[in-house]
Amino acid sequence: MSYLVRRLVRGILLLAGVSVLCFLFTEMAPGSFFDEMRVNPQISPETIAGLRAQHGLDQPLVVRYGRWVKSALHADLGYSIAYNTPVAPLLWSRAKNTLLLTLTAMVLTWGISLPLGLWAAAKRGGVLDRAITVISSLLIAVPEIVIALALLATAARWRLTPVGGMVSSNFEELSGWEQFRDVVAHLTLPVVILVLCESAVIVRHVRASVLEVLGASYVQTARGLGISRGRLLFRHVLPVAANPAISLFGFSLAGLISGSMLVEVICGWPGLGPLVLDATFSRDLYVVIGGIMFSALFMLGGNMVADIMLMVSDPRIRTGAADAG
Amino acid sequence: MNVIARLSLLVCLLAGVCVAGASSAENPAPENPGKNEELQRVADTSGRYGGHLTVGQRAEPKTLNPVIATDAVSREVIGRLNADLIEINRATQQTEPALAKSWKTSADGRIFTLQLRRGIRFSDGHAFDADDVIFSFAVYMDENIDSPQRDLLIIDGKPMTVAKIGPYTVRFTLPRPYAAAERIFDGLAMLPRHLLEKPYREGKFAQAWSLNAQPSEIAGLGPFRLKQYVPGQRIVAERNPYYWKVDRDNHRLPYLDEMVFLFVGTENAQVLRFEAGETDIISRLSSENFNLLAHEGTRVSSQLADLGPSLEYNFVVFNQNDLTGKKLDAIARKQVWFRDLKFRQAVNAAIDRDGIVRLVYGTRGTPLWGNVGPGNKLWINQAISHPQRSLETARQLLKSAGFSWKTNGELVDGSGETVDFTIVTSSSNAQRMKMATLLQDDLSHLGMQVHVVPLEFRALIDRVFQSFDYDAAIMGLGGGDADPNPEMNVWMSSGTSHLWNLGEKQPATDWEREIDQLMQRQMVELDYNQRKRTYDRVQQIISENLPFIFLATPNTLAGADGRLGNFHPAVLDPNTLWNADELYIRGGLENAGTR
Amino acid sequence: MQVRVRCKMSGKITWLIILLVGLHLLLLLAGFVAPYDPAAQNRELPYAPPTRLHLWDSSRFHLRPFVYPWSPVDDGYREDRSQAYPVHAFVRGDSYRFLGLFESNLHLFGVENPGKCLLLGADAFGRDEFSRVLYGGQISVAAGIVATAVTLFVGSVIGVVAGYYGGWIDETLMGTTELFLSLPWLYFLLGVRAFLPLHVSAVRTFFLLTCVIGLIGWARPARLVRGVVLSSRTRNYVSAARGFGGADFYLLRRHIAPETFGVLLTQAAMLVPRYIAAEVALSFFGLGVNEPTASWGNMLSALQQYSVLISYGWLLAPAAALFVTSVIYYLLADALHSRLESR
Repeated sequence: MSYLVRRLVRGILLLAGVSVLCFLFTEMAPGSFFDEMRVNPQISPETIAGLRAQHGLDQPLVVRYGRWVKSALHADLGYSIAYNTPVAPLLWSRAKNTLLLTLTAMVLTWGISLPLGLWAAAKRGGVLDRAITVISSLLIAVPEIVIALALLATAARWRLTPVGGMVSSNFEELSGWEQFRDVVAHLTLPVVILVLCESAVIVRHVRASVLEVLGASYVQTARGLGISRGRLLFRHVLPVAANPAISLFGFSLAGLISGSMLVEVICGWPGLGPLVLDATFSRDLYVVIGGIMFSALFMLGGNMVADIMLMVSDPRIRTGAADAG
Repeated sequence: MNVIARLSLLVCLLAGVCVAGASSAENPAPENPGKNEELQRVADTSGRYGGHLTVGQRAEPKTLNPVIATDAVSREVIGRLNADLIEINRATQQTEPALAKSWKTSADGRIFTLQLRRGIRFSDGHAFDADDVIFSFAVYMDENIDSPQRDLLIIDGKPMTVAKIGPYTVRFTLPRPYAAAERIFDGLAMLPRHLLEKPYREGKFAQAWSLNAQPSEIAGLGPFRLKQYVPGQRIVAERNPYYWKVDRDNHRLPYLDEMVFLFVGTENAQVLRFEAGETDIISRLSSENFNLLAHEGTRVSSQLADLGPSLEYNFVVFNQNDLTGKKLDAIARKQVWFRDLKFRQAVNAAIDRDGIVRLVYGTRGTPLWGNVGPGNKLWINQAISHPQRSLETARQLLKSAGFSWKTNGELVDGSGETVDFTIVTSSSNAQRMKMATLLQDDLSHLGMQVHVVPLEFRALIDRVFQSFDYDAAIMGLGGGDADPNPEMNVWMSSGTSHLWNLGEKQPATDWEREIDQLMQRQMVELDYNQRKRTYDRVQQIISENLPFIFLATPNTLAGADGRLGNFHPAVLDPNTLWNADELYIRGGLENAGTR
Repeated sequence: MQVRVRCKMSGKITWLIILLVGLHLLLLLAGFVAPYDPAAQNRELPYAPPTRLHLWDSSRFHLRPFVYPWSPVDDGYREDRSQAYPVHAFVRGDSYRFLGLFESNLHLFGVENPGKCLLLGADAFGRDEFSRVLYGGQISVAAGIVATAVTLFVGSVIGVVAGYYGGWIDETLMGTTELFLSLPWLYFLLGVRAFLPLHVSAVRTFFLLTCVIGLIGWARPARLVRGVVLSSRTRNYVSAARGFGGADFYLLRRHIAPETFGVLLTQAAMLVPRYIAAEVALSFFGLGVNEPTASWGNMLSALQQYSVLISYGWLLAPAAALFVTSVIYYLLADALHSRLESR
């Protein structure tokens, strides 16, 4: 129980810290939302100054922060300069799409990379192990955007899947089953890109930690005792080897909101990615800060789940944590 | 199996959540033209009804409110939903009647009397009359709204006034004569008083017509009206059944049932989705993408158009701003070079403009020596010389200005200081980044140490317009209208885009003073030939004094599905959608399968 | 059995180290190996494809390979067969500084002017891609390794301390990592750019890259390490050693730190290529290596344009180089790891 209380306090402190630093960082970045209008020779600086005042951008940082906190407590999270609406609904309407993408990708990533990592470690030096070495190196060395563009180009040329968006433009006319198939077709490409890029890292970690445990003396002993290979792997090796994987799983959970930004932008997925990136570059500050707060929440949740999983997988940690705290 | 079943259930559930709020009503049929409607007949147009056109946009529009919209994508949509009193025909670049069926100008050019079309209706069926015009201008002029269009209506610090003369007659009075004043009306959408007066009175105008507004709350006089907005995905606009134009057979426009604006995100996505046939029309293509679509494209059918030089001019500007009190001593020292005309002439002579056109624009561009390019046929001064690149000339100029070379080839100024400066440019503009790299190489042949620093767009704007913390920048301007008036703020010494030296209280040089006088004069001259002569002189002075060193202009490139009829892209914005009311999908089976 | 595995491992490690040294030597001696100056533009040859090496001409076989020059045609280039240029070894060409020590113009190979030997084609400015890959590797590989070292050092110190001491120290340190993982770094980069002078020399850019990456990157490895330490510090032998009065530092060094090697090596093999590619993003904010200096990062950023990626496949050369480097590093990390395990 005290663990939960401690977590809650830490969470609140974190959110407060993130919000303060967000305001400081946004203050540090040069340029403001209305700067783009300066390039247009037909708009006067007075108009720009008037618009800044309308949106309170001429106020000191502390005042703006105070206003934002008040708005955040009203669950508005501030007001978007570009959209002229509160930020929270803006974010929520897109967060659903992001979660659809990232949850699907996460399930597949872990569903694929855990067994692959185990298998590669069990059959060290085998064909699969070598293939994983080469493919994961390729996926890590080539920037995500290049991988994504190459896949998009292939899909566009061979008419494999739609190359962007979440639904076709005739979506409303489709029947329920066709709508499902339409979404899945649009989902395929971004999910494949995400799964490829994420798995490369996880497979390597799983493989390395399984190998480490397989080399440990007690496992050698168990093997000597004639325990079957499968039983050995799943009952004895996996729980111990899971440690880095659990931390990585925490990152996966934490990245459910923010981890797919680039892929969403490249694939035109109507999630938070394009919204927040566009807002970042146009200095629509409160949308950015709202997006960050939102992903900080997931970060908290993800890390908490990871900590709990660490305790469950290795009961000694709990006793240790208890006597230390 | 169990996992897959659960997974698909999850996907189903989420998909259901995400696409809630879909509507699938039939599109309205065009109303038959009525007897007492004064419709505009587009004499040379014919087409067939039906179909929808999908447009890929690089970003999501931010608002549907024509008064506060500032970004290009929002305006692209808003322009299809609304109409103006007088329009600039993008093909001829001349003004033509729109909601005003005719207008008269007083002899002194100050009073405009406009006759409105009778009997026409907004897209919700409500009648349009002079009260809507008066209301619209009251909103545009309101100081509390700070509409970007307001600055157009203020001439010499004084606002233009508008009065209702009759139910279909309005009169505009300008504080002073203003050349080509009727061009101002293009881009000022007429608003429905019956829908917007209430939020305006309540002080909530800026929040009205946001993207979340119900289609029933929004009405305009454009060829289309809002049907549906799906956050982050698309805006669907359907035919306005009351639109005020008919074709030569007296069929009411537009031909298309629907226009779909898809938010595809990036330039790459725009090309990919056009290539995959998911969008039907594409504009502002880069030459590389144009060549890709032309040569290797896998699209079943398409029509690509190279419209020749655009109105955009790219240039290098050296920082000549007054830096007193700015703590930028290092730059202030370099300004001795930047203010030296011979230094700028040397840079001008060393630039390989043909190289820029070839390497940056893949030959789909034109070198520039002045602010008006060959794309602007009405206003270009053909007498301006086009000297060939000559490093020899450049070296002569530098030598005569007191520069010399060290033994290792480095250029030093009279006091022995190495000529070393940075060029900043926007990192999101691949073309200008390339120009900077070419320029760096060109100037290194003169012994100048030039460094290229890409900056994020708003960080660049902040340096060039506010902090003046830069040596030289590559920028681009132009592209709005072909008329000289939008250029006033660039060339007037007090102008807000007078980039090389912003915020001058007095013209800093004699030639800037002369430009000031000439620009003021061309603004009041009502005769085209007189204005042209005046503006020619301005171009002459600019090309002699080189406040900007002009580089090149890209061609205007556009493309559309092969079945799109009446596709007449133009150099002026919006290049492809300006005649959306006339676009139609050709029938027949010859191109079946593109969609 | 055990001994044979170990011998095999040692042999493998030797081979990998030789490969790695060779690779780095190639990059170090870029000036000599590369036939051209990496910044030299050939404005007649934008996006020229890789030059083909020929042994046969129309009549006979030549022992010395030769090349034909590219001549531009409507949509690309065609070989101009009227003039052949044999490839020579040890030729004089563009001058460079050999190992930064003395001026030289001797190159490993080359062809006579005006012939061009563009082994990996040319970029948008007609610059030799092969020369640029070699020169670019110098700064990129070094920056990648140093940034990884910085990140992992900071990350593992914080992770070990948090995991070993637990309690409020853990809460504070992990709270800090969470803070670091959530901040709007894009704005931070914009801010950094605004504070720096506009022109930053190549050496300072190098430090800048490593510092920025290190500052942003330490949080994830810290959490990974902390997880491992959390479980290993409660192992029986660690508790036993503590019972015998082992000092904290001794315990950390002798028993805890080795447990984290596996995670750290795996992370290192992944972070080096990731960080090299990260320059693509940093250069958008003006924090990368500036033109005309070559780096793998700024070369890769050309591929962000779909049309370039599709039409000019040879520009993937820096990605291929990065791939080869990262495979060698990964295999070495893997081999070292298993050697440590079997000890």
